[in-house]
Amino acid sequence: MKRRAILAFTLDHPGVLNKISMLIRKKMYNVDTLTVCRSRIPGVSRMTITLEENDEAKIIHIIKQLEKFTEVISAKELDTEHSYWREVAIVKLEVDAAHLDEFHGRYNFQILEQKSEDVHILQLAGSTRSIDAFLDEIGQEHIIEIARTGVTALEK
Amino acid sequence: MTGKKLLLKALKDRRVKFIFGYTGGAIMPVFDEMEKMENFAFVMSRHEQGAAFMAQGISRASLSTQNPQVGVCMSTSGPGAMNLVTGIADAHMDSVPMIAVTGQVATGVIATDAFQESDVVGVMMPICKQTYMPLQAEEMEKTIHEAFYVATTGRGGPVVIDVPKDVQNELVGDDYAFDPETCRPHLPGYYYSPTPEREPLNRAIDMINKSERPVIFCGHGVINSNAGDLLRKFAEKVNIPVAFTFHGISAMPADHPLSLGMMGMHGTVEANKAIMESDLLISFGMRFDDRVTGKLDEYAANADVIHVEIDPSEIDKNVRTSVAINADVYRTLHVLVGDPMVSYKPRRRWLEKIAAFREIMAEDLKEEIEQGTGEDGRLLMKTIIHQLSNLTGGRDLIVSDVGQHQMMAARFYNYQTQNSWFGSGGAGTMGCSLPMAIGVKLARPNERVWSISGDGGFQMNAQELGTIMEHNIDLKIIILNNGYLGMVRQWQTFFFDGRYAGTPMRSPDFMFLAQAYGIPYRKVEKLQDVEPALQEAMECKGAIVLEFVCDPAEVILPMVPAGCGFDEMMVKHPNKKK
Ligand SMILES: Cc1ncc(C[n+]2csc(CCOP(=O)(O)OP(=O)(O)O)c2C)c(N)n1
Ligand SMILES: [Mg+2]
Repeated sequence: MKRRAILAFTLDHPGVLNKISMLIRKKMYNVDTLTVCRSRIPGVSRMTITLEENDEAKIIHIIKQLEKFTEVISAKELDTEHSYWREVAIVKLEVDAAHLDEFHGRYNFQILEQKSEDVHILQLAGSTRSIDAFLDEIGQEHIIEIARTGVTALEK
Repeated sequence: MTGKKLLLKALKDRRVKFIFGYTGGAIMPVFDEMEKMENFAFVMSRHEQGAAFMAQGISRASLSTQNPQVGVCMSTSGPGAMNLVTGIADAHMDSVPMIAVTGQVATGVIATDAFQESDVVGVMMPICKQTYMPLQAEEMEKTIHEAFYVATTGRGGPVVIDVPKDVQNELVGDDYAFDPETCRPHLPGYYYSPTPEREPLNRAIDMINKSERPVIFCGHGVINSNAGDLLRKFAEKVNIPVAFTFHGISAMPADHPLSLGMMGMHGTVEANKAIMESDLLISFGMRFDDRVTGKLDEYAANADVIHVEIDPSEIDKNVRTSVAINADVYRTLHVLVGDPMVSYKPRRRWLEKIAAFREIMAEDLKEEIEQGTGEDGRLLMKTIIHQLSNLTGGRDLIVSDVGQHQMMAARFYNYQTQNSWFGSGGAGTMGCSLPMAIGVKLARPNERVWSISGDGGFQMNAQELGTIMEHNIDLKIIILNNGYLGMVRQWQTFFFDGRYAGTPMRSPDFMFLAQAYGIPYRKVEKLQDVEPALQEAMECKGAIVLEFVCDPAEVILPMVPAGCGFDEMMVKHPNKKK
């Protein structure tokens, strides 16, 4: 299944998120990730939704129906070639400091805190794939807890 | 000024005359205020669903008049609001502008499961065009005006305004000011493009001129934008036959030589066959729903599609378009009718072919209508509608319920008056007819209005006979009683080996029911009595109930079975030799 990102600018009103998620449910999609933040314009939110769909026409139709909402100012699809998709992960893991050093330079992370000799809290930022790769390489068995923001995207 | 006063002032400023509704704790302050004002005609329904359909009737019927009005219904919180749901969802499916005002529990107790609290905004959100909950009296007028704007612009739809009780009673500050004349809703995310763009229009014109087997589609948008005359002029100008969606019916005279009648599941043979053979569909204000298209993969396989539609999300939804014109139907037709580039063609071969399609069922239908009764001598709905059409000259207003009788009324009444056919299309809500007809009659008091229901649907909102009685509504009420939920029975006959599960129905004696409300009643069992009874109903003053005892075995044909292509259209009863 092809992963898609939809960017929507919406009025910052109560109920808007509800409306949008209801539409996506009605169309029988499972939202992969959904992030909302303020935009440059006061009162306008910026929403990035990712979901899986191969059929181009279906995505176009979701976008048209999103745009139909009074509160949605504009919506469009962002593809990976013409936009950056990034997310942030905060990871608590049990690993030797020396082992962690091997990852420096290859992955974009920052140590927020060293809780004990081998418990670290890291912050990673990057593409979904690079975060996945980091976690795989370090080994899932070392991970105590992880929080990921989901994708936010910006056109190049 | 209080919130309730401002609410009613805004309705008054919007020229609302009729308010349909039912009171209760959370809306009492507004009702109380209404009682002190003189400009509203309040009509109490007997069930909130009735109020919603009455409001729909006002909107649907008045949009083609000099004085278009938006229907308004009002209910209390909780159960009152929940009873509006069906009528609102129905208006949403059929793009009918409407305002529903619901009382809500006070803001202080919202979300505490207070007495008669329901999450009205949450429930209504997916079944209406927009919802509002003003939280301060100051927001009231602005909200109501914005609601009317949203309900009536672009593709119309119902808007729900949920008003907490304390906000109804709240006073606005001394410095409160609002001018309905100059207020413009601030809706940066809401736009619609009424004017067609030149580039797609040119491509469309080119295709129209080149096409050999074109068909024009007349949808609800033609009625909603009041463009029936323009559509007829356009069809005549290019000499292209016109097929109608369920809601496109009555946009132009049904017996116009270019009319193919209704399309789709129970459409005419000529409409459906023409669509299958067409090379170009020129569609105005419609959405290619599954009752119209049947199986999409097989639908009009050789046709290009020009789609004129005000709602961009309908374009390319079900059928791929060659030319999309996202614009108001009236404005688009206005350009097409006036454009000298659009040319006439004799289309002799195409029209001859269509004339042959017309013959396929014509003889059978004519025979059946003349016969007038089924095997056991009970009346045929077709014949009753046909006679009604002849007697009224096709000029009356018809409000149908949902079922076989609805398809008969769509097919066999010879509509002459623009916007004279009403009912529930997208939702197919049984019980809509009686209350909707009340709204239609109030919106068009000088025209004769017939409410046509089956025995099933009639009993779904029969309580509104009380409203008819109380307000002396002059409705000609027809019950086509076949003792069954006939449309479902027809499916059971065709596709379920004739097992009539949950469709036979015993009805009350409708005479006593009518009498209980003081409404005259006639029962018609014989063919020769049909015409005199209809005649009497036409001539009598005030409401009358006519019950016709109909043949349960009658079917409406042709029929494209659900999910099938038009190739599988049934034109003959599968169990009958003849
Ligand atoms: C509220 C509602 N419930 C169920 C249906 C399903 N349904 C469609 S037509 C029909 C039968 C209608 O029977 P009747 O009103 O007697 O009309 P007839 O078909 O016999 O003319 C039913 C049950 C519906 N459309 N609406
Ligand atoms: Mg029936």
